[in-house]
Amino acid sequence: MKKYVEDLNFQGEEYVGEWTPWSPQDIRRKKCVLEAARLMVDSAFTAPFAGGVPSLEAHIVYGQEELEAIARKIEEIAHTNETWKEAFLYEAVMVRDSDVIIFLGNTRCHETPLDAGCGMCGGTLDCGYFYDKKTHKYGLVDITDRSSEKMIDGPLCTARVGDLGYAVGSALWTAATLMVDARPFASIGMAGQKMGYCHKSGMVVGVPVAAKAKNPYVDVNVDYHLINMDKVLDNTRKIYQTTRIIRGFDYRKWIPKPDGPKTDGEDK
Amino acid sequence: MGHLIGKEYCLDHVIEVAKSIVLAIHKAPQITGKTKIEAEIIWGEDLEPIIDVMEPLGKVMRYVQWDYETIKKCYDKGEAPVIIAIGAKLSSSNLNWNCGACGFATCKEFNAYANEYRGGGQLGGPSCNWKVLDWAMACDWACASAWQYRVDNRIMGSVGFALNALGFMPGMDAKLGLALGPPRDMVYYNREEMHKSMSYEMDKQDMVNCVPTMFTAFPGGGTPMYKTKDDWWAPPEFMGIGYSEEVMEVYQQVIFEQVPEMVVKHADKIAKRYEDKNK
Repeated sequence: MKKYVEDLNFQGEEYVGEWTPWSPQDIRRKKCVLEAARLMVDSAFTAPFAGGVPSLEAHIVYGQEELEAIARKIEEIAHTNETWKEAFLYEAVMVRDSDVIIFLGNTRCHETPLDAGCGMCGGTLDCGYFYDKKTHKYGLVDITDRSSEKMIDGPLCTARVGDLGYAVGSALWTAATLMVDARPFASIGMAGQKMGYCHKSGMVVGVPVAAKAKNPYVDVNVDYHLINMDKVLDNTRKIYQTTRIIRGFDYRKWIPKPDGPKTDGEDK
Repeated sequence: MGHLIGKEYCLDHVIEVAKSIVLAIHKAPQITGKTKIEAEIIWGEDLEPIIDVMEPLGKVMRYVQWDYETIKKCYDKGEAPVIIAIGAKLSSSNLNWNCGACGFATCKEFNAYANEYRGGGQLGGPSCNWKVLDWAMACDWACASAWQYRVDNRIMGSVGFALNALGFMPGMDAKLGLALGPPRDMVYYNREEMHKSMSYEMDKQDMVNCVPTMFTAFPGGGTPMYKTKDDWWAPPEFMGIGYSEEVMEVYQQVIFEQVPEMVVKHADKIAKRYEDKNK
């Protein structure tokens, strides 16, 4: 049997900070958030499920390129629907401002429903609403045709969707307990599903997680996709660089002072 | 100064804890931010209508029977749980996302369908799936909050059915019940109240009915025998599939006669509470 070997080399120091983004100190901080996200996923798996049936899958995603890809997918989806366009564009910014993204999906809502006849999907006394709109043989749903013009290939078993909600709720409860910031998003969920995260699921919810001085998911300004911290910083670079250009001098010879010497400092 | 003796004050305090849990329900995060959620707290004699509706349904649904007997036995012992009713308005969409999750291409088509079929299912329906997620998160926060207070609890569709049938929370179209307390361990898991209410034979027969593959003998012949007896020399048993008039008859009786009877007994009194509140 492999024995637990204790590492007694317990010395060191870690400088942790959130500035500048993606610097060593920021990545150290992000790693702490990753630990929190893992505990959130554990909590999601302990949530109540109808009939105690396992039906949850999770993806934990982190890294600059990975988050950028998710943000771009959300932006792509945003422009397909005027109703959610602005909100989704804002949420893409929030993804870039996140440390870790969690995807939670229900693997049964589109294929193996609860079959309890609760009627919540279509208001009928049995599961007929679900099955009538699905390709199935004696109640076994054929999901091999994955082409769909809709964002989500419904109908779904509402009891299973409820299970997904419980899972997301538990993940968020743990986030609140651990004092890390997290919120549930449809935009991130749909983008993640289209990108293949939680690929066995019929519905996916995205939960971005962050531990920063400012919660990235609240208190945004109007036109947040155009005016946000990344854009402000980039804009600062743009403006400041030009500002330097329009006032050149040889700092070795002369620096303007309020009451400084009027000469250029050169030997005469 | 004070000196609390006994357990009665704990039972009373569950109501206070329930109020704190309702705060968590309303604080729960939402995806849409547009789902209307309500919560109510029911305890004492006001549990009787719920228990009365669960009783007949328990005859045809084992999980309801389990919930019914647990709550009823606790109630009879003077250790009744406090029930938090959690309802939401799910059967119309004001999102206009046209995501397709409900089975319709547009929210407009869903709303037209919902207007016709609203409330037709045992637990309501039809439902906008994004709103279901919001509601489920609120229910989950209620459970998580209860666990943080270390009060035994279980979220129940059986109670939700009763709440729906009796007309609790008239503005809401989906409901679940969170049974809270009594203050001790293992009320709703490893249910002590249910001890001795089932026999070994009943448990075994449940397994045969519900997990038949565990009992299937060699299937190569096409009509496998079922290993249901310890005595191998006893006559073998076979399974059949068919419509059961007996089961369906009892089911129809319960749903269309016995449950409505209980609803008629209590619904007016419950409806009046909402009328008085709205005056």
